[in-house]
Amino acid sequence: MSFRIAAAIALAAIALPAMAADQVEKAPPSGAYKKVSELVKLPDFLPGLGQLFVDPKTLPAGPFLAYDRDGRLVSTVYMLPVEDLSNKDKRFDDLAAPGGKVDHVDVYFNAGHPGVEKPHAHVVLWHVPKADESRVAAK
Amino acid sequence: MTVSRRHILQIGGGLALAGLAQPLRPLADEPIEIWMQGNADGSHVWFDPVGLRIKSGQTIRWINLDPGNSHTATAYHPQNFEHALRIPKNATPWNSDYLLPNESFSVTLDAEGIYDFFCVPHEHAGMVGRIIVGRPVNSPADEASSLDISEAARFAFPSVEEIMNRGIVRRI
Ligand SMILES: [Cu+2]
Repeated sequence: MSFRIAAAIALAAIALPAMAADQVEKAPPSGAYKKVSELVKLPDFLPGLGQLFVDPKTLPAGPFLAYDRDGRLVSTVYMLPVEDLSNKDKRFDDLAAPGGKVDHVDVYFNAGHPGVEKPHAHVVLWHVPKADESRVAAK
Repeated sequence: MTVSRRHILQIGGGLALAGLAQPLRPLADEPIEIWMQGNADGSHVWFDPVGLRIKSGQTIRWINLDPGNSHTATAYHPQNFEHALRIPKNATPWNSDYLLPNESFSVTLDAEGIYDFFCVPHEHAGMVGRIIVGRPVNSPADEASSLDISEAARFAFPSVEEIMNRGIVRRI
């Protein structure tokens, strides 16, 4: 094996992990995700959702990754402003979905909060069974 | 217009007596609380009470009792997000900035008139309130362009009449 080929293989080995999907199973997720409570003034743990991380470039839609108190991923959340949903010229395409298997989905209205100030819909892809939603319930 | 003036004075006297008969608070110098609240999934948020009548010099204390959200108490004033003036012209505007759960913010109101305020992230959802200090003397809120505020907010204000009659207006 020539030195040049060995170097190329070594480079590829270094480059590959960086290209691999972000680690999202455990908080904090890798990549561009930031803790929402450090981006805007919101409680660190939101009852019913959990601890949220988001890539600020993807606001307002997300995905937001939601973790329980032990740092385990429980859901992926999209926040879609109502005025965008009723705008015929607005679409949400190709939203990332890094969280893996989805057990069930909740969709509900939210009046707004710092970060997504306008009334919007929460689309919650639960990665855990219904019974385990209690892991992000209010204490 | 002596007749109508006397009529107005009589109405004013009646309201003052009603105010004495219905104390708003137990101790003279304690702030009057307005709670910032929300339901469990965040689909509904509100100030409680939404309307208050107080005396000049009394202090209002907003406290966030919503465990899942941040709220503000912000006066309708050009200094706050260029909103049209909806507090007395000689009053000082306030903006609490975001209050996390259990954080609070206080303001003492002296100038007579109508004060309208809102929550920054929830104005679109109709989270607004109204305080009347003393009498509802001619106030910018009467004249202010309503185009400046969201439809939900416009319909959420209790009427001046309801606040003057009841002292406290709650919507829950
Ligand atoms: Cu609010």
